[in-house]
Amino acid sequence: MDSLIPFTTSGSLVDCVDRKMLVVLRDGRKLQGVLRSYDQFANLVLEDTVERIYHQDVFAELKRGLFLIRGENVVLLGEIDLDQEDDVPLRQVDWAVLEPYHRQEIIDKKHRDEAKAQILYERKGFCKEGGEGDGY
Amino acid sequence: MLVELKNGETFNGHLVNCDNFMNITLREVYQTNPEGDRFWKLKECYIRGSTIKYLRVPDPLLDLVKDEQTRAREAGRSARGGPGGGRGRGAPPRGRGAARGGPIRGGRGRGRGG
Repeated sequence: MDSLIPFTTSGSLVDCVDRKMLVVLRDGRKLQGVLRSYDQFANLVLEDTVERIYHQDVFAELKRGLFLIRGENVVLLGEIDLDQEDDVPLRQVDWAVLEPYHRQEIIDKKHRDEAKAQILYERKGFCKEGGEGDGY
Repeated sequence: MLVELKNGETFNGHLVNCDNFMNITLREVYQTNPEGDRFWKLKECYIRGSTIKYLRVPDPLLDLVKDEQTRAREAGRSARGGPGGGRGRGAPPRGRGAARGGPIRGGRGRGRGG
């Protein structure tokens, strides 16, 4: 509970620096790395980054090195509990093995989301994403 | 360094220049399409910062930048010299580009284990 205290004050990333963080990007990528620095746009520098892909009860990792991520592409940032991070109820396999399944999953998801967005737009008046005003 | 754009295209090349908007120019660039099956070689290219998703840079760069900043701070300090140094924090040299030329400025923790 005491580890929640840094996160209940103002929205600053300073308490996340030098900690292992999970970053989810808008394109769906899940990166884990040590947050080394940030700026007013929440651009992030992530060291020793590992990209992880999942499929059913299996996952795969790929070392990616040093990243500078443009802040607007980040969906969320989460601190990784180093004590619990190895308690993964999934089996690890090679990246090359899992990658085709993951790629297919992404394609399927893209079709589903497009179909959903179209229906919502036509029947319920929702806006479509990727419009002019979406970026910073 | 490698630059991936929001549309998934990747550009592998040497950073020539950058500005506060993250607009960059690269030299000797290998461009790849989002599917990863088509390649182009460009002598140089300009990438608008707003189209960038992320940059991948060599691992040793973090230490290099840290050393550079320490050296710059020391150089600034000795150049100003004497008591009452005024600003109390050496201004980092600008105009060199590199990974530091962009908006990253603050938030570096010290001595805290990962």
